[in-house]
This record gives sequence, C-alpha cells and structure tokens, in this order.
Amino acid sequence: MLIGSANIEALAARAPVMERLDGEPATCEGADVLQVTYEIASPDREAMLPAGLHPTNPPIVTWLVYRCPASPWGRFAMAQTRIECRSGLRLRAFLVSAVVDNAAAAQALASRWGFTTQPGQIELHRYYDSVRAAVVANGRLLFDVVVSDPDPLSPDDVQYVANMNLARTPRGPRLVQVEPRYHIHRVERGRPRVAAFDSTPWGDSRIQPVYPVSASLAVADFTIPRIRFVCRPDVLAFEGTEAVEDAR
Amino acid sequence: MQFGLFFELSVPRPFTGDSERRVFENALEQARVADELGFDAVWVVEHHFLEEYSHCSAPELFLTACAMRTRRIRLGHGAVVCVPQMNHPVRVAERAATLDILSGGRLEFGTARSSTWTELGGFQVNPDDTKKTWDEYVRVLPKMWTQERFAYDGVSFSMPERAILPKPIQQPHPPLWVTVTSPGTELDAADRGIGCLGVAAASYAEQERRTKEYRRRIQQCDPVGAVNERVATLNFLFCHENPRDAATMGLLMLGMFSLLNAHLLSTREAYPTRAYHSLGNLAPRPAHDDASPGDRRAVPEGIAIGSPEQIVAAVKRWESIGVDSINFIVNAAEVIPQEQVLQSLRLFAREVMPVFR
Repeated sequence: MLIGSANIEALAARAPVMERLDGEPATCEGADVLQVTYEIASPDREAMLPAGLHPTNPPIVTWLVYRCPASPWGRFAMAQTRIECRSGLRLRAFLVSAVVDNAAAAQALASRWGFTTQPGQIELHRYYDSVRAAVVANGRLLFDVVVSDPDPLSPDDVQYVANMNLARTPRGPRLVQVEPRYHIHRVERGRPRVAAFDSTPWGDSRIQPVYPVSASLAVADFTIPRIRFVCRPDVLAFEGTEAVEDAR
Repeated sequence: MQFGLFFELSVPRPFTGDSERRVFENALEQARVADELGFDAVWVVEHHFLEEYSHCSAPELFLTACAMRTRRIRLGHGAVVCVPQMNHPVRVAERAATLDILSGGRLEFGTARSSTWTELGGFQVNPDDTKKTWDEYVRVLPKMWTQERFAYDGVSFSMPERAILPKPIQQPHPPLWVTVTSPGTELDAADRGIGCLGVAAASYAEQERRTKEYRRRIQQCDPVGAVNERVATLNFLFCHENPRDAATMGLLMLGMFSLLNAHLLSTREAYPTRAYHSLGNLAPRPAHDDASPGDRRAVPEGIAIGSPEQIVAAVKRWESIGVDSINFIVNAAEVIPQEQVLQSLRLFAREVMPVFR
C-alpha cells in the first residue's frame, strides 16, 4: 500500500507549537462553509504526506473555507488547503496550511488544535448562480475559485472529513486529529473552477490541481471539540496513535 | 445453503511483471479446486483503476478462463458496472451470452453502478446518473437476451432494431442480481425481482433486516425478467483446525482487505450527492465508528475465520437469518500463501460443507 514519505523535520519546522493538548472546544454558529475538491497531479502523492498517513487514489486536495459571523474570537474567516488521506482505516485530510483573517482566532486555532496559519484576507461572495472565494496573503493571490450553478442537496449528502494537523507538542511532533462536528442548515453543490492557486505560499509547491471534482457551500453551525487522539507522524496509525485522555 | 468464492484480484505492491500474473493464476487455481470440492459459484468483480485493491477490469475474460478450467461450478459476474461510459448495454448482453454459451449455461449475472470516485471520475461519469442507468440496463438486458430483434429509445442509450447475438443458453436468461452495499438497494432488487448480491460484509442484525425486507417486498415485484429471489452475503474464509492459527492468518487477510478497501476514494467522499448514501465500504464495520484510528480488529461476528466448528456455528446463524448463499473472500493481496488458501478450502469442504448439504 502507499505510505507517505514527506520529510517530517521539514514539515515540523513550520508547524505551530501546542503547549498542551486539552484545549477547550469552540463553537461557531451560522457559518458559511465552502468546500472545493480537485484531483491533483500524482507523481508526488506520497511525498506530500508524512509516513503516518496514506494517500488516496487519485490524490485530491480540498480547500475548506469558513466564514464565521460569530465565534469566541469574534467574526473571522479561515481558508484551509488540505490533502485527503487515510490514517489507518480512517478518512482524514492532512492540513498543508490555513489563512486566517483574525489574529485572536489564528492564535487559538494554532495553539489549541495545531492549525498552521498565516494572516491574510478571505472573501466569499454569493451571487444568484455562483459563489466566488478568494484568498490573499502578503499581497499575493493564493486562491481564487468560482463555483457555478449551485444546486440544493440534503444536509446528509455532504461529508467533511477530519483534519490531521501537524504540530509540535509536548510529546514531540504529532498529527493532531481535529474533528469538527457540523450541524448543517442548508447545502448546495456546484461546479468549481479554480482560477488561481499559488501553492508555494501555502507550504507545498508540488500541489497541482488538475481536474475539478466538486464544490459545496453550506450554512452550518460547527464545533471544534477537544482533541481525542494524536498520532506520531513517522509510523502508521496502528502503531502511532495515542489517546489524549491517557496523558492527563 | 450454497457457498461461493468472491475474487477481487488484489495485487500487492511493488507491481512487477510477474505479480499480476501470479495473482490471476492463483485465483484460477482456487476456482478449479473449488469446482472439484463442491463449491457452488465463483464470483468476480469489475473494477477499474483501483491500484492494489482490484486489478479485475476485464472480468468476462477471467470468467472465461474459469469456464475453461472448471466443469460444474457457476460463474458469477459480481458485477458488471451498468453505466454506458464503461459498458455499452449491447456489449454487455453480447459478452454475457457468449460466456453463458462457453460455460455451458453456468452464468450468474450481477449488476452494479460503481461506488468510487476513482472509477466514476476516471470515466467522467456523473454520479447522479448511475442509479438511472443501472435501472435502465436491468430492464433492457432481459429483452436483449430473449427478443429476436431489439430496438430502444431510452435515456442513456437508444438504438434502431437489431438482432443482438448470440443468445444465452439458460432460458429465459441467466439469473440477474444486483450488488448491495448502500442501504435500500435490497428494496430496488426486490422491486425488480432480481437477486440480492450482498457485497458488503454485514452484521447478523443488518443482514436479517435486509433479508426480511427483501423477502416481503419481492412478493409484489414488477419483474424485469425471470424472477431470481435469492439472497447472497459476502464473508471471509480461513478455516484451520487450530482456532488460534485460523485467527492469525484470517485476520491478516481481513486486515489487509480492510486497509485496501478503506483507502479507496469513495464517491460520497469526493462528490456530495444524494445518489450515494454510504461510502460503499465492503469490509466489516469497526465496532465503533468513532474509535481510534489505531484500533486493531478482532474477528467480527459472523465472519468465517476459525475452526470448522466455529465456522459451522456462524454459517448456521446465517442460514437461520434466511441467507441462501455465502460468498467468501479467501485472500487479500496474497498475504496468505496459496497452499494455505487451498488447505483452508479443502478443510471447509470436508468439515463444514457436508453439514449444510
């Protein structure tokens, strides 16, 4: 089977520091949640993931954009670039990095759930027959997508997989399993067209979107709960999974 | 109770010039031995692009090879993907009839619509359409096999009148099945009067519920052809006199299958749609969906991994639920040496099979 082969030291060098693993949960109500999925070029599919994770066939990237009108840190938006993967038997997405437009939210997301973040601006515009999202950081356009012809679906039809965020923890480098729970009020699916994606500032220049798969836009309440599990990034989940409760 | 083998033709990495040939030859030998031992069927999947998990993209050819090496065992397409980008319905009818002739009327014909984005995306199939095209296929195939000439004006295809040749040996046509992974497909099977080919390892309770619903509903079916009201379920087999040895090897197979299966990119994961309600996983479900990713598995309930006595007990339970046949996966990515697979089949045939005959 395919196993990740990324240089973990290099990945960890830009990973956030988590001084503890028992952060409090946080809830955001009435958020817009945009998820865009593309197939990516496969030559580097193993090299983009640490050894604790397995690539999918074909490899896919998901961009997950939150626009939250209210949160413990006030109004904020976040855009994530993630590579879908497997941790053991589980569906997961490895966080490459995120852009956050609210410093307090960014600090909390990094220190409590291991999100690698950088500051930036995130726009999300809804039109009658399309949705547009754009992400800018340090004056560069990092991501620009248009989702056409949104079509209503049932909340049960959409699925979000949990993150694996690499962080420097008291136990050493760990993949932090972040499992937001969603209560979806409404959701639509449309056809995505990525007009711009600058992969280098996100942290991995090898990510090349090559084939559009889907996009969904939901209105949802979501809660980022306490961390239950972390995994060593250098061994498979069967050997490297650690329950957080055990450490308390 | 009938017993069959179920082949995915999974090939371990690294892929060498010899690795695929070895997997195919081993499976063909298992089919030949199963035929001699009294197993009732071999089923063969159709999958495309699923590295390691299944290299069985031309099942009609593999089944033809099975037909040439066996005498009495039935040959199951498990199943033909009924979407036009992969298989035109006329070609499906022609190939199936040819296989029925070449095998002397031993074909069982399963239908499916594929559950992975890897496959549907690869053929640029809209996942929203697969249930519609599957429904169209199961309605036209019996007509193609039984009518002297056939014409059609439909949704996924149309054609002027032609003689679709050859015709199958079995009259009026080979038994029709549909693979069942998503909840509710058993009702689609019942409504059309076709067999329920379970291809996801289900718990006793889940299978009992499905079987009851299916049996109740098929009483008032609107059949698409000759009614086939059999229920088959998928299982895993490793039979050994020593239960501990059985568990060691059997769990190795089950673990490998589960891993390869979990690593597929399901349609539902990539493409939100009301057409796919489940991930389409075939492996037994973990005890708790929110369990640790590091959890290892014990032998799940009802799985035929154990001593002959343990397997007899499990099969009796399946029988009491109303299952007509059990199809066994007997290896995954060659983790069990071929000789042990064959020994397991022989022990099963000697100690378990007679209890149910």
